[in-house]
Amino acid sequence: MLTRKKITEIGNVLTGSIIILFLAFPIFWIGLTAFKPERYVFSTKFSFAPTLDSFRAILQAPLSFGPLTLNSLIISASTVIIALPLAVMAAYAFSRYRFRGQQALLIWVLITQFLPPVVVVLPFFALFRQLQLVDTKIGLIWINLSIVLPYSIWMIKGFVDALPTEIEQASLIDGCNEFQTLRYITLPLLAPSIITAGVFSFIMTWNEFLFALILTRQEARTLTIGLLSTHTATGIRWDWMSATGLIVMIPVFILSLTIRKHFIQGMTMGAVK
Amino acid sequence: MTRKSTIFALVAPAMLVITATSTYPLLFALTSSFRRWQLSKSPTPGKFIGFDNYARAFGDRFFVNSIQVTAVFTIISVGLTILIGLGMALVLQKPGRLNGFIRTLLIFPFAVSPALKGYTFRFMLNPEYGIIDQMIDAIFPASADLVWLANEFWALFWLSVTETYGWAPLMALMFIGALNAIPTDIFEAAKVEGSTNWQLFRHITLPLLSPVIIIATLLKTIFSLKMFDQVVTMTGGGPGRATQTLNHYVYHTAFVTLDMGYASALSYILIIVISILSYFYIRALYGKGGI
Repeated sequence: MLTRKKITEIGNVLTGSIIILFLAFPIFWIGLTAFKPERYVFSTKFSFAPTLDSFRAILQAPLSFGPLTLNSLIISASTVIIALPLAVMAAYAFSRYRFRGQQALLIWVLITQFLPPVVVVLPFFALFRQLQLVDTKIGLIWINLSIVLPYSIWMIKGFVDALPTEIEQASLIDGCNEFQTLRYITLPLLAPSIITAGVFSFIMTWNEFLFALILTRQEARTLTIGLLSTHTATGIRWDWMSATGLIVMIPVFILSLTIRKHFIQGMTMGAVK
Repeated sequence: MTRKSTIFALVAPAMLVITATSTYPLLFALTSSFRRWQLSKSPTPGKFIGFDNYARAFGDRFFVNSIQVTAVFTIISVGLTILIGLGMALVLQKPGRLNGFIRTLLIFPFAVSPALKGYTFRFMLNPEYGIIDQMIDAIFPASADLVWLANEFWALFWLSVTETYGWAPLMALMFIGALNAIPTDIFEAAKVEGSTNWQLFRHITLPLLSPVIIIATLLKTIFSLKMFDQVVTMTGGGPGRATQTLNHYVYHTAFVTLDMGYASALSYILIIVISILSYFYIRALYGKGGI
């Protein structure tokens, strides 16, 4: 006879499996379809001889997603590299000093974080046309800073808040100035947190869609915009879409795993501990 | 260096970039919203027309429609996210190898690009070869003729599901953190008194969790109002305009009909709503005393 404990255990495994299915199935299905031969794409078959045809198709002309991947990489990396030093300096000042207008500035930073991207892109579309920055990587890096910078300031501020001040004080007493203290004491202690903020910022820029949709034409297109090119006259080529999707997902998954302990602080900007 | 100039040197560069990337567009859109500006005719804003653009919105049935769509989308996606997130958290907070593994899985759906989520669900809902469509048809044969994304209600529902798919696991992680912070002796005491599981949840877990639930609800509401990518990659706003959110209508007005003045006014209506919610979010996080 089944004991009460056994029943609970079976129940747990069952609910666990349902949750796994919910979380993993869409990702699994994209992964599977990416390796399907074309004739199996329009069926729900699970078994087939896997092929790399879709990856060849999206990397070769006319799709040529290689440069798009490179664009995504350059734009995301540059945005992060520009945003992080600025964010660390500002976050440090916001956390360690009390000054006039501090609250107003912090709230302003938080509100810019919540701005709908469509509001930001509207004036930039007109401005970039005049500055000839439409369809350039510089234009995209500039506008991506609007989401990444406020976000990293808040996140890193949360981490600085959590850091004890005693070591910094000791260093100041020993004759270091604020910048030396920040450079040689605080920064090394903050390194893991800065990496976390950097990874999150990279993921946001890598996945970004709206800015690239409106501000790129050909040269500066990113990989998420490449998804749109899998539309053909006869409909969407789901095998190509899936292969592209897999290239979009994999780096982000690997990065997410490296910072999984900080995921919640990341998304709520350090607010919920 | 004085204390003042140190602070200035640290904060000014970041604020300068924020001014160039966020403050500037915000002010520019505000001034444009009071002007007539057809981008196809002029690269710069034209005549000052007061509140005409705003007044126009309330007589525009597409605008009213987009408000309704946004409201329904927000209610469904926030509701589903919080309920499923809470349900998953209650299951997964218990220790064990399987639960530990699933907790790691929770971070993946959120990391999937929203644009890709839209395509993925569009693919899986295809009436001929979509795997979700076939699974549902197998369980409910009555739905066999239903083309999900051609139906006004279901298109909006599935759009909410793409949003829930990413956010519910994230909220689950947040709730698990809050659940683990509840001291276990409260539960043990209540059990000794003879409380049922439902009573424990209703009278201990839920009240203690409510601050986090409020924060999660506000945060998700803000992000639901910002949702855009999936509308483009999954439904294109259709069928008809059944899934055209305010965000998408702003986009359509600005970049398809090229009416920048009107689009700016529309975007300001969205900004006002989001600012009010942000205010409550900050209050919920930091209390009345501020940051």
